[in-house]
Amino acid sequence: MAAIELQNVVKRYGAFVGVREFSLAIPDEEFLVLLGPSGCGKTTTMRMIAGLEEPTEGRIVIGGEDMTEVDARDRDVAMVFQGYALYPNMTIYDNIRFPLRMRGVPATDHDRLIRRAADMVELGAYLDRKPGALSGGQRQRAALARAIVRQPQAFLMDEPLSNLDAKLRASMRVQIKHLQRELRATTVYVTHDQIEAMTLADRIVVMNQGAVQQVGTPDEIYADPANTFVAGFIGAPPMNLIDGVADGGTFTAPGVTAPCPATLQGKVVLGIRPEDCVVGGGNLTGSVYGVEPTGDMTYLTVNVGTRQVEVKAARDFRAGLDTPLTIGFDPRRTYFFDGATGQRLRHGS
Amino acid sequence: MARRSRSERLWLRYLILFTWAAFCLVPMLWFLSIGLRPRTEVITAEPIYWPTWSLDAWHMIWRDWPMRAYLINSLMAIAGSVVICVGLAIPAAYSLARYEYRGRDDIGFYILSTRMMAPAIVAIPIFFLFRNLGLLDTVWALMLVYAAINLSITTWIIRSYMLDIPKELEDAARTDGASDLTILWEIIIPACRPGIITAAVIAAIFAINEFLFTLLIASTPAAYTLSVALANFSGGTDGIIYNAIALVAFIAFLPVFLVVLMIQKHLSRGLTMGAVKG
Repeated sequence: MAAIELQNVVKRYGAFVGVREFSLAIPDEEFLVLLGPSGCGKTTTMRMIAGLEEPTEGRIVIGGEDMTEVDARDRDVAMVFQGYALYPNMTIYDNIRFPLRMRGVPATDHDRLIRRAADMVELGAYLDRKPGALSGGQRQRAALARAIVRQPQAFLMDEPLSNLDAKLRASMRVQIKHLQRELRATTVYVTHDQIEAMTLADRIVVMNQGAVQQVGTPDEIYADPANTFVAGFIGAPPMNLIDGVADGGTFTAPGVTAPCPATLQGKVVLGIRPEDCVVGGGNLTGSVYGVEPTGDMTYLTVNVGTRQVEVKAARDFRAGLDTPLTIGFDPRRTYFFDGATGQRLRHGS
Repeated sequence: MARRSRSERLWLRYLILFTWAAFCLVPMLWFLSIGLRPRTEVITAEPIYWPTWSLDAWHMIWRDWPMRAYLINSLMAIAGSVVICVGLAIPAAYSLARYEYRGRDDIGFYILSTRMMAPAIVAIPIFFLFRNLGLLDTVWALMLVYAAINLSITTWIIRSYMLDIPKELEDAARTDGASDLTILWEIIIPACRPGIITAAVIAAIFAINEFLFTLLIASTPAAYTLSVALANFSGGTDGIIYNAIALVAFIAFLPVFLVVLMIQKHLSRGLTMGAVKG
């Protein structure tokens, strides 16, 4: 396996900027997740690492070698696609064998390697089937086996789970993480699903509109978001962001009052996570819009002023529509962002 | 309108399908029946409900007439032209479907536009071309002409199938280490096999019916195909030999009919099923 380095990588399509000034060092064996909404440039970034797109500017270094000009077929990275991309005319066995044949692995080793890869994804019983005869989960496991059968420099995975149903997605997620640790494989994983990103990643790169918003461990991204975009993207439901005014140590917005650092002045955005809110207390005043029990907790949506605030309430919380109530939170759990730029305003700064 | 019951609807459906099938097939059976009757019976004015069967025409075309040679000419010209045509159409279609280069769409349209031209316009130049090449009156010339006529339509059929192949398949093959030619050969061609077969069948049908250029190039029986040879029955001292014409026409129709029967599942069903989530 190998480290990957992106140096000032830019991708432009005419006047449109797909990826702007992307620089990142991915150490060997890291599981890196590129996270962002569709069209944010995460897939383009991955395709540039794979060699399927050429960067407009910048260098891409894999395993210490400059690969910027090297064709995809000579880069020695393995890629898993959202649509599986299994070769429909070949059996699963021949699908997994394809990269071995293309890379000139001695034919005598093929059978052993194919069976080992298939066993790792528990697909040993399906080797003589065609992709059309497999379920979605099996096809994705076959695509994984095709990627792991040779020892590539790195794995690239482009939304590999998004075509699967929720239950299968959760079990495949664990399997992918296990495989990555077992193979100690440098992995770049693209997703728009923040749960996948949080559960899988050693580090997350949050992207939006072609630009990197924040790079950090899942804990850092969750606990210390750099701006309103990251704060509003991470968490389920994500952080509540409330536009208001700070003046003399108090933040106010329609239906909201909260203490804030005395240094803050003017238009700011208050951020508070749904899990840090409690029913009762005196920071927010509003009325019930919706109550969604899930068993282990209850999602509560409250109309506050002209906006809605999400709260994770106790599992037995119930209330009728339009019931007036108040919401409170620990001031130490609040975040403040610049009202104009959305950048984080650090407490005391 | 009153609702029809399920069985009524099924009945109606079968009735429509049956009518259509009869409309298409009865002329063929009629040809066969004419071909298997004595010549005298074919030309009487009175309707005949209980025909007398006879193999006169059958014996005639094989014994008194070089049927075997014409059949071989036809089959060679068709097979050769289909091989040449599909062999050229596949790379052309792949280039039109997947590569981006200046003028690509214009080239695509140019290829298609050759089909729109009236054949008579190029008949004379083609005659001189093949005369200068010394290919007049040979099956090789027929192969080349049929291939040229069919190249546009086969290229476009195959191209449309290639456009339906997910791009991801090629990306996967490329990261797996495959070259462009390997991708074409091992991934693209198998995945658009139904399209290639469809194109080949259509090319064969056009080729077997081709008349104008065959007549132009084949001036002696050395290169006659069935379609041109058929015209010979209508001249000479014997008058028009209807039963032989019908039988030869039926024999000319049979190979294409059988081929289509054998491959009809490919004509209607895509092979990319299962490649990506359907």
